[in-house]
Amino acid sequence: MIGQINVTRMTEDRTGVRTWHRVASASALVEGQPIAAHIGDIPVAVVRADGAIYVIDDVCTHEYALLSGGFVEDCTIECPLHQARFDLKTGRCLEPPADRDLRTYAVKVEGDDVLAAMEAA
Amino acid sequence: MFLKNFWYVAAWDHEISDKPLGRIILNEPVVLYRTQDGALVALEDRCPHRRLPLSMGKIVEGGLLQCHYHGLRFDKTGKCVRIPGQELIPPSLKAKAYPVIERYHWIWIWMGDPALANPDTIPDFQYLDSPKWAAKGTWLHVHANWQLIVDNLLDLTHLAFVHETTIGNAAVAENAAVKVQRSPNNVLVSRWMIDKPAPPTYVKAGGFTSNVDRWQFIDFTPPAFLRLHVGAAPTGTGAPDGRVVGGINMRNLNAITPETDTTTHYFWAQAHDFDVNNAKVTDLLFEQVKTAFLEDVAVFEAQQCTIDRNPHAPQSDINADAGAIQARRILDRLHQEEISAAKVQAAE
Repeated sequence: MIGQINVTRMTEDRTGVRTWHRVASASALVEGQPIAAHIGDIPVAVVRADGAIYVIDDVCTHEYALLSGGFVEDCTIECPLHQARFDLKTGRCLEPPADRDLRTYAVKVEGDDVLAAMEAA
Repeated sequence: MFLKNFWYVAAWDHEISDKPLGRIILNEPVVLYRTQDGALVALEDRCPHRRLPLSMGKIVEGGLLQCHYHGLRFDKTGKCVRIPGQELIPPSLKAKAYPVIERYHWIWIWMGDPALANPDTIPDFQYLDSPKWAAKGTWLHVHANWQLIVDNLLDLTHLAFVHETTIGNAAVAENAAVKVQRSPNNVLVSRWMIDKPAPPTYVKAGGFTSNVDRWQFIDFTPPAFLRLHVGAAPTGTGAPDGRVVGGINMRNLNAITPETDTTTHYFWAQAHDFDVNNAKVTDLLFEQVKTAFLEDVAVFEAQQCTIDRNPHAPQSDINADAGAIQARRILDRLHQEEISAAKVQAAE
């Protein structure tokens, strides 16, 4: 839970306004090929799928594999090691061996910058 | 676990002559030879009479293989055509014949249903006999399961630790940008190490005096063909954009043939497309990679020992295993498909 508190401090200023972080170049982001990025200390995967851009936690909730090395199909991402699968839109865990959902992040594109921020609680 | 309906490399071409060669492949004894007219033959290496290996026999007139024990003679289809002192030949006196073909300086054998043997499915190893390339290879006998070798070639982070005197350095493990792509019957692992020192072998072969951009593209094709496109060029000359200037470009070619569940024939070669007429370069690269591969063999055999001691001891996966895990999934699926097809066939 300490991690959660830190995350909140980092992504919102004192007035609770959402803080955006640049996580990728939109033009360099290829459909179906995730890249790894960070929001502060949090590893995230940035994914272009079905025309939209999604930012999710990069660490698989099963055993620490990085989902940015995984496989994107039908707006889901499959862990490269043990086949856990997550919905890119909602972060929902769809296949075992993982059993917990991923956090998703708000995304906006300004010029060539892909920006992400914590979703409002 | 073996896959049967695939081509495997059984030997280098120069190993096969009119002196029969016995070799175990997928737990089956096979004898390979050439008849006097050059025809290539692969038969079950077991006389159907008293089960002596036919490879102990010799080739006699007419290209027949004569068993060492009682002199029975077999033609290239495995049919017995002579029993000394006996006129009639029982039809059961037949050794199984395997489809066999010579390509890229390798002898390819089909261990499954002969009706499915299509030479078009032999993977492309043109680097072994193309005039644009120079290649040198050999064969290693490994006391370990074949899949350990597949795993090894799909995760090259080990170069930093096992091969630090030749083809490895820290950058291979610490600074590689890795991408794993998969399709139903293929895995491609792409690795780039940008602006890092060249490893010792690359310094010797490429004369690099400054940092390099190094690439490793690992193509896995089932059951156990690994074609590695590797090389390096001075940083800043454009290699990541597809321009190779002042660099070295190579193929490391591997055909892994299971012998038994715990032993393997490891056929490999190193090919280069620079200085192709300079045998010293070819020899240097071959010797450097051979040094590295013998280091790998020591690893495989030690792994196999600990696996045999306790086959159920758990192992954990790390990110670098992604390529090898995807390859194992393909192999498991193909194995299940072969089992299902065999059941259907048995029911018919």
